Amino acid sequence: MTAPVSLKSLSEIELMKLEREIARQHIDQFPYFAVAWAFANLAVWLALWPLVFMGILPLWAGFLIASFNVAACYLPSHEAQHDIIARPGTKLRWLNQAVGHLSTIPLVLPYRVARLTHLEHHTHANDPALDPDHSTQANGPLHAIWTSIQNRQPGAKGGLASYAETLKRIGRPDVLLDAAIYNLVFYGILFGLAWSGFALEAALLWWLPRHIGMTYIQYYLSWAPHHPATDKGRYRDTRSFRALFGNIGSMGMQYHIVHHLHPRIPLYRTPMAYWQMRPILEARGCRIDTL
Amino acid sequence: MLAVIGLIFRFGPLLFGFGFMAPLAAQILERAQWTLPFGLTPLLAGLSIGGLLGAVAQIRGRWI
Repeated sequence: MTAPVSLKSLSEIELMKLEREIARQHIDQFPYFAVAWAFANLAVWLALWPLVFMGILPLWAGFLIASFNVAACYLPSHEAQHDIIARPGTKLRWLNQAVGHLSTIPLVLPYRVARLTHLEHHTHANDPALDPDHSTQANGPLHAIWTSIQNRQPGAKGGLASYAETLKRIGRPDVLLDAAIYNLVFYGILFGLAWSGFALEAALLWWLPRHIGMTYIQYYLSWAPHHPATDKGRYRDTRSFRALFGNIGSMGMQYHIVHHLHPRIPLYRTPMAYWQMRPILEARGCRIDTL
Repeated sequence: MLAVIGLIFRFGPLLFGFGFMAPLAAQILERAQWTLPFGLTPLLAGLSIGGLLGAVAQIRGRWI
């Protein structure tokens, strides 16, 4: 599909006006699903512990569900990071913040760390020096998985280590304390469980699912939508793409370009907004060839 | 306080080796019911495995 000639002849201002008109139709739509998803996902993950410990659920099944829970826990927080659930000063602001703080507990990712670094990612997407997610850049899918694992090694400079550098750079080193507390509690619980005779349960309900979930999240939320992560600028720093597991399997990231252009559009509205905007994006020279 | 937290994280791999990998390895060995060499108990074998992996990760700065 090519952009209609009439669109290509429009000026930048006219294209922007059209794009904003479409975006406006989707912004401020309450994301019921994301809110329900946040609490349901956390509740299921928490329920796994007693179910497995009491022998009601086999550990292997708990491991599979926990891996899904951890992979799925980031996106509701992502909606909160962009104030999509409720803006500051509004009646439901508490819900926005509750979703932001609670949903990423299985991932051991503090909300303030996630929010501040994610907003920096939007401001500096694909900038090797300033984008906190640039360390996920890789040559291909397998390399992306390997890079994600390498970024989690103790001496790694990328991944969460680059989040720490970002927080220092933007003058918020105080937020590092959140990360320190989260990690101390996480490892404290793991060690406590392990030395109480529940090492396998701790490994398969939290430690390993966290690694799997983080790899999946970084693959689909950081690597795939920005690959090859070399272009900068509003219309070039991200793309649309066709994912092997579809839009649900890629956690809605096939239409990530819409999110970068208009971050306050809820995730569930990005496919509709994308198809409405597509001719405009094509006229803009966006990377939308595969979808 | 911050200095203590910094110290804990500096020795993270070694602590993880003894704090988590060791009991994990011991419990895997126990469930597998393997006969261990030199009359080692699962706990001693777990401490050896976890401690060694943690020490290597501490020196190399990476687990894999």
